[in-house]
Amino acid sequence: MTLLLRGELLKLRTTRTFVALVGAALALSLLVVVLSTLLSDEFAPGDAATLFTADFTGLFIMLLGVIGMAGEWRHHTITGTILAAPDRLRLMAAKMLAYAAAGVLLSLIVTVTIMLVGTIILSSRGFDTVAFSDLLDILWRNLLVAALLGALGVGVGALIRNQIVAIIGVLIFGFVIEPALFSLVPDVGRYGPTAGAPSGIIDVNPFGESDDEDVLLAPGLAVLVMLGWIAVFFAAAGVRLRSRDLV
Amino acid sequence: MAPVEVRDLSKRFGSVLAVNNLSFDIEAGRVTGFLGPNGAGKSTTLRALLGLVRPTTGTATFGGLRYEELERPSEQVGAVLEDASFHPGRTARNHLRVLAVIGDHPFERVDAVLEDVGLTEAADRRAGGFSMGMKQRLGIAAALLGDPEVLILDEPTNGLDPPGIAWMRGVVREQASRGRAVLISSHLLAEVAQSVDDVVVIARGELRGQGTLEAVLGGDEGLSTLVRAQDNDRLVRALRAAGHTVQSLGDGLLVPGVSPEQVGVVAGDAGIYLVHLAAQARSLEQAFFALTGEPTT
Repeated sequence: MTLLLRGELLKLRTTRTFVALVGAALALSLLVVVLSTLLSDEFAPGDAATLFTADFTGLFIMLLGVIGMAGEWRHHTITGTILAAPDRLRLMAAKMLAYAAAGVLLSLIVTVTIMLVGTIILSSRGFDTVAFSDLLDILWRNLLVAALLGALGVGVGALIRNQIVAIIGVLIFGFVIEPALFSLVPDVGRYGPTAGAPSGIIDVNPFGESDDEDVLLAPGLAVLVMLGWIAVFFAAAGVRLRSRDLV
Repeated sequence: MAPVEVRDLSKRFGSVLAVNNLSFDIEAGRVTGFLGPNGAGKSTTLRALLGLVRPTTGTATFGGLRYEELERPSEQVGAVLEDASFHPGRTARNHLRVLAVIGDHPFERVDAVLEDVGLTEAADRRAGGFSMGMKQRLGIAAALLGDPEVLILDEPTNGLDPPGIAWMRGVVREQASRGRAVLISSHLLAEVAQSVDDVVVIARGELRGQGTLEAVLGGDEGLSTLVRAQDNDRLVRALRAAGHTVQSLGDGLLVPGVSPEQVGVVAGDAGIYLVHLAAQARSLEQAFFALTGEPTT
């Protein structure tokens, strides 16, 4: 498993897609933080803490996971990959772990960067900054969400092998269906895999007012729900992958 | 135990029986041609051997183990399949490095196999820009990375130019000379006849012949008779009634393994007038077609 994991991490590092998505995640997260800290006239420490959850790593690492797995079919590399690693379930597990690790690394870079830049701007404008212990609290939550969404992306890509359909599906689900569900039926929406449960882990409601936070799942339960989603996709994709003839 | 054993292998896709009760062995130190027309079941058999397709019945093993049971597959089997592909954005060197990491091979092997296949100068180019020949060479490099005991090549000369085909022949002969078992599939006998020791011939999923090239297909000196009659249909019936195989060849008939005198006697006994009767050395292709049931024209 260690060799497979190292191989998958090397795969990640040796294409331009990874570098492009790291750049995009960093640029987008920085844009939000810089504009918000520069343009707002009032800034309470709580607002800043919420702003530092604006780490777009989760979205990008999930898309990267989808691309990494579904891309094996798109580029017809799945045959070579399975010849190198004949145990298909171990292969999928290694890919999930690799993208979870990549998510942690990516989120670490993005979160620390936006925290540094945001804190410098807030400090220069005379606003109160976020306490170090609170920054650490935000950091581990962001890292955890990125890791879980990276693994989930691999599961989605393994189940929906058409890369374009999988990417569009994730974007529609994450930006349209789940927010709508969260607004209309929050008791259901908070269990969602792309926004509901991740918001519970971060403990920030991205769809409502700050006093709506009690609709979110408790962080521990949200982690379990995310692990459940990953397990469901792993099982469904695993059954399909193992039974499929590669002709 | 042979390095590769296929026993009673069958594979059905829905209503199509792609491979039917196929059994053969591949020996170490020899190049075996796996021959048959397009759609004969060659690729399905190779994929079943490599664990990519699940056999409906039977087994396909390496030293008694299924591919997915091999402890270190890249050290035991190297394979280049017809649809072998590479991530277009990854360089040749990085592609091989990924495989080296997974197979636990040192990166020095990457440089060595790149040199073996003549891709050293193109090693840091992205595979998406490679020609068909370069992709075939990269596929061979990947297969050789673990210096495997068995090398399997599925239609390896497809898309190669004559120098590329000659290079490929050199690779398989060199591997066999080092004691490796080489299995090379092709629907074009002419492209592999010069490099194989043994052949396994299949058609419509069934085994049609197995053994040395000479034993199965005969040499180019094999005797045949080319004959044309006023009524070819009557002559075909008469020859078949006499127990001979008859193939259509242009506007005449080819009777493999039979002398002109024997054909003349059959025609005379049946009262059939002949307009042409000549001895003809049977070519490998004709013998191959006779086995596989392919037309000779």
